[in-house]
Parts: sequence; structure tokens; C-alpha cells
Amino acid sequence: MDRIAEHPILGNSPEGKMVTFTFDGKELSGYEGEPIAVALRVNGVMVHRYTAKRHEPRGVFCAIGRCTDCVMIVDGVPNVRTCITPLKAGMKVETQYGVTGKEGAL
Amino acid sequence: MKIEHKELIVVGAGPAGLSAAIEAAKSGVKAIVFDENSKPGGQLFKQIHKFFGSKEHKAKIRGFKIGQDLLQEAEKLGVEVVLNATVVGLYPEKEIIVKIGGEVIHYKADAVLIATGASENMVNFRGWTLPGVIGAGAAQTMMNLHHIKPGNRVFMLGTGNVGLVVSSQLLQAGCEVVALADAAPKIGGYGVHASKVARTGVPFYLSHTIKEVEGEDHVTGVTIAQVDEHFQFIPGTEKHFAVDTICVAVGLSPMAQLLKMDGIVMDDTKGRTVPKCDRTGATSIPGIYAAGDVAGIEEASSAMIEGRMSGSAIAAYLGYLSSDSSEHRVDTLENSLSSLRQGMFAPENRGKKIETTEEGIAISQNLLKAGFVTDDEITRFPGFRKEMKVHPVLECTQNIPCNPCQSACAKGCISIGEHMTSLPISVDGSTCVNCGMCVASCSGQAIFLVAEETRAGFGEVTIPYEFLPLPAEGDGGFALGRDGKKLCETTITRVRTSKAYDGTALVTMEVPTEYIDKARFYKKIG
Repeated sequence: MDRIAEHPILGNSPEGKMVTFTFDGKELSGYEGEPIAVALRVNGVMVHRYTAKRHEPRGVFCAIGRCTDCVMIVDGVPNVRTCITPLKAGMKVETQYGVTGKEGAL
Repeated sequence: MKIEHKELIVVGAGPAGLSAAIEAAKSGVKAIVFDENSKPGGQLFKQIHKFFGSKEHKAKIRGFKIGQDLLQEAEKLGVEVVLNATVVGLYPEKEIIVKIGGEVIHYKADAVLIATGASENMVNFRGWTLPGVIGAGAAQTMMNLHHIKPGNRVFMLGTGNVGLVVSSQLLQAGCEVVALADAAPKIGGYGVHASKVARTGVPFYLSHTIKEVEGEDHVTGVTIAQVDEHFQFIPGTEKHFAVDTICVAVGLSPMAQLLKMDGIVMDDTKGRTVPKCDRTGATSIPGIYAAGDVAGIEEASSAMIEGRMSGSAIAAYLGYLSSDSSEHRVDTLENSLSSLRQGMFAPENRGKKIETTEEGIAISQNLLKAGFVTDDEITRFPGFRKEMKVHPVLECTQNIPCNPCQSACAKGCISIGEHMTSLPISVDGSTCVNCGMCVASCSGQAIFLVAEETRAGFGEVTIPYEFLPLPAEGDGGFALGRDGKKLCETTITRVRTSKAYDGTALVTMEVPTEYIDKARFYKKIG
């Protein structure tokens, strides 16, 4: 999804510092400090994790850290709520499979 | 384990919590506010529309500005706001456990205010867990805090004020809203909010809900169908839309878990669990208060007043204010709160079918079904008036507690009177000077300046416009009706922006006189 460059009420969007991070090994970029989920959405990433039993895709639902649908493995730590975790340069973000594991580990 | 002592602990730095802390601090109470988010203000900073009410309720001020003002006031009074602080437990004797970063801290307070707000409801349909199905609040968060489009083509489920306002905001952010649907037979939110959306051409489907959302890894489409009076799908009524995003706005529920865990007496009678409170939010446990949505879902405007009432009562409870002074202050605030709880959308009118306005005028049925008042219906309302010269036409047809338009006009062209829910009257014989202040003052964007004839066969309509790109003088395009359908070609004759209009641009278009009472939106060619 696109960034809103100019908004009729909020004006020009603040210019952040562009940093790079990886998503499943692929290098992507986003603004430092914005939620990881926002940077992912701008890059077209909608699936954050797959459920353990049915292997169903899940992504952002509430965007305020409440529902935990958007959790991913960030820098090796699973179950990180990406909608409220600020993006940092060099972060390693990975799709989560089940509650902790990576694909194949289930 | 060390226990830290605090006079007043407020849980939640939204409109209710901040207002309570401010009010208590004014009397000398040392207040600390915990909020689990990284930014204070609750949902206020996502509210980019102008608020309703009267001046005392901060009407016609945009939500985020109200948030900034509250934070400033709190800071000035020495209220401590601790962010990224999740309150995980409320225990007997007002003991509170807070997780701040990686640390867990044990507090004990003399008084506690719970202002945790509400969480969004959800409905189940096939595909509801697919990425791309989001809460309406998520859409607001993405657009208005993080400056991204939640989706390109969006379907909105729910026509309460949240669904309507977020639909408007999606359009402002440059997203396409393909349709709104509601299982209820009528639009639940303010007609003026619906009309803002309808006049851009977005259709409403009442008595319809989602049957299925499709997509492999993310949403690619939605099928809706009509439901009967028992909310069962009617076969053969399916409609399909290709969309990438589904927004769900089906109500809110109080987040009362902390109150429940402390054993506070709850009230389940209204279909949701809220604490039993007196008018100041005092719960069944002395010294523990609740304010805002956690005590019953309402608007941010009411949450701020409720917070102030609790804050004043807490100051008295802690001995910083005499009970007489507090009672007096609470009386005043309660009057202000009562004025917001009037009209067709008042809490006591929920679920009731209202056929006529307080003035005895038949309600526009089309407004409830399709989101706009028809060309025939509008003429029976007191805001509609015909005059050759420029004059305001007030398309406000439901009794809602809101009156900034009356004071916006220095020339007395608009009258609401004493009762703030009365429909505004476009005053006969008054002299409009075309200042545009009324148009910009209307939170519902329901005021238009109309001049029946400015040259032979043509007149002008001035509309509120909060979209980009802003049209320029001389631009061609189409005038759209209240239904969002093309009426005729038009030329923009004037575009006004001003600090006094606070973000609302006034766009004047010239249309043939026969369309003067119909043209209410502008669309550029192409």
C-alpha cells in the first residue's frame, strides 16, 4: 500500500530517516521508528504469520497492539507485535509459523 | 518487594484519563497516568474531523488539536504521564502492578481512576481472519498516525459514526471506498456523516452484511447479501466487490477487565459489562473511579466531561477540595454532559424508531437508507430557503446536540435558539455577506452557500471541500448531486482557504439555475 504523501488535513507527511531491514532474508526499507507492520504494508507484505494447526495466513487486524494477529519473529524473538514495535535499521523480520517455530519446525 | 506510593493513579491517557488527571491536579492532587501505548491521547490523535457540540464541548475543533491541548494542560499542571506502561493488575487496597518496559513495578494508590476505554467488536464471516480484514480503528491508525493507505479499494462494514467517519477519512487519504453495508435496516450514525460519503458517490447497502471474504493469502474480494428481519441471508441477493481491504466497524466494548479483577460490582443489563457507578464514576469500592468508554460507550466529548467529573470527585475524596465545592463543580459539568446526551442519538433513544424531528418534521427516510436527503425531502427542513442572493442552506435534518453554525454567523442568518439539538433555521430576510464561516464551522459539512442567480440562467453553490487536489479557479468538471451522481458540467469560480476555516476549503462552482438546489459536490473531469 502507498504512503500518503500529502493529506488535506494533516498536510505533508513527516519525512523520516529511511533505513533498511530484512524480511525473510529479503532487503526492504522503511522509516526508522515507524511500526514494523507499517513498513511491511508499504512494501506489500500482508501475511505476517501462519497459524499452527490450520496453516492459515494472518496479518494486521487492530494495529494498536491488542489482538496479536500481527506477531512475527523479530531479531530472533517470536511473538513480537509488529504493529507497535518501532522499526530499527538492520532489523531481521521473519514470518512466524505457529506460536514460536519456523516453517518445518512444526 | 518495594511498593511505590502514589496519590492518584490513572489508567489510560486518553480523553477521560487526561481530563480527570488535569481536573484533580488543579486542586493539588499529584496524579500519575499510565498508558500502554507509546503515545498519549488515546484515540484523539486519530480524529481528524471537527467535533460536534457547542463551544464548551470544543465543537468545531479537530480531535487531534483537542489532544494536543489536553497534553499541554496536563504538563502545565505537573501531571506525570508514563508511556509504554501496561497495567497488568488491580488488587484489593488499590494495589496496582505495572509493566514498564521490561520492569514490573508494584504501586499502591490513595485513589484510582480506570479510563481504559474500549476495544472494537468483531463479527465472524467466512474469511474474516484473512490479512486485509482490519478494524476501522486500524484504518484510522494507519492513515492518520502513520500516513499510509490501509488499502486501495476498501469495503466498510458498519454505518455507525465510526464506520461513517472512517469512510470519510479513507476518501480523504485517497483510498477508494467501494461501498458501506450494515445488517441493520437503517444507517446508525449521524446523517450528516453519511451524506459526506454519499455525495462522493459511495453506495450504502442497508440490511446487508458480509457473506464471504475471498482471497488466498490476502483479501481480493467480498460477497455481501441482503438479510431478512431475523438477520438470515436472502438467497439470490448476493453482490460482489473486488476489494483489497475490508474495514469492520461494528461497535465497541468497554475494556473493564481491571475493574472486574478487583471485584468491583458490574452491571450487565445493557448487553455489555460496565461498572456500576454514580454520576462521578465512583464504583462500588471507595476511591476507585471509572470514566470514559470503560463506563459506557459514548463520544470523546462526553469522555472528557466524565473525566473532569471524576477528577473533581477524587480531589474531594482525597481532601483537596471541600465536598461542597466538588458537588458544585460536578453539577456544572453534569449540565454540560446532559446537553451532549440529547437529541435523536441520545443514549435513551438507542434502538428506537424516530419518525419525526423535535420540530414535528418527517425524518428523511432516504437519509437512513441511502445516506442522503432527496431533492424533494430537503425542502421541508428549516435550513432550506430560496433567495436570489447568496444565502446559507443548512442541510442538517436530524436533532443532534451541535450549534457552532449559529455563532459562526455574525449577521444572524442562522438560528438554532436555546435548545442545541434544534434544527438550524436559515433566517428569512437576513443579509448573508458570503464570509463562509458557517460552511467551515459545520462539523457535519452540511452547510452550503447558494446564490440562485449570479448571471442569466446561472447561479453559484459553495461547498465545503476537504480533499486533495484542491480545485483551482477556472477548473471544469461535474457538479454531483447529494446522491453522488453527475448532474451537469460546472466551472469553479472561486476557491477559498483560510486559517479561520481550519483546513476546510470553500469551493464555489457555477451551475445552471435549475441545478442550484441539487448540486452539492464537485468532481474534476478525468
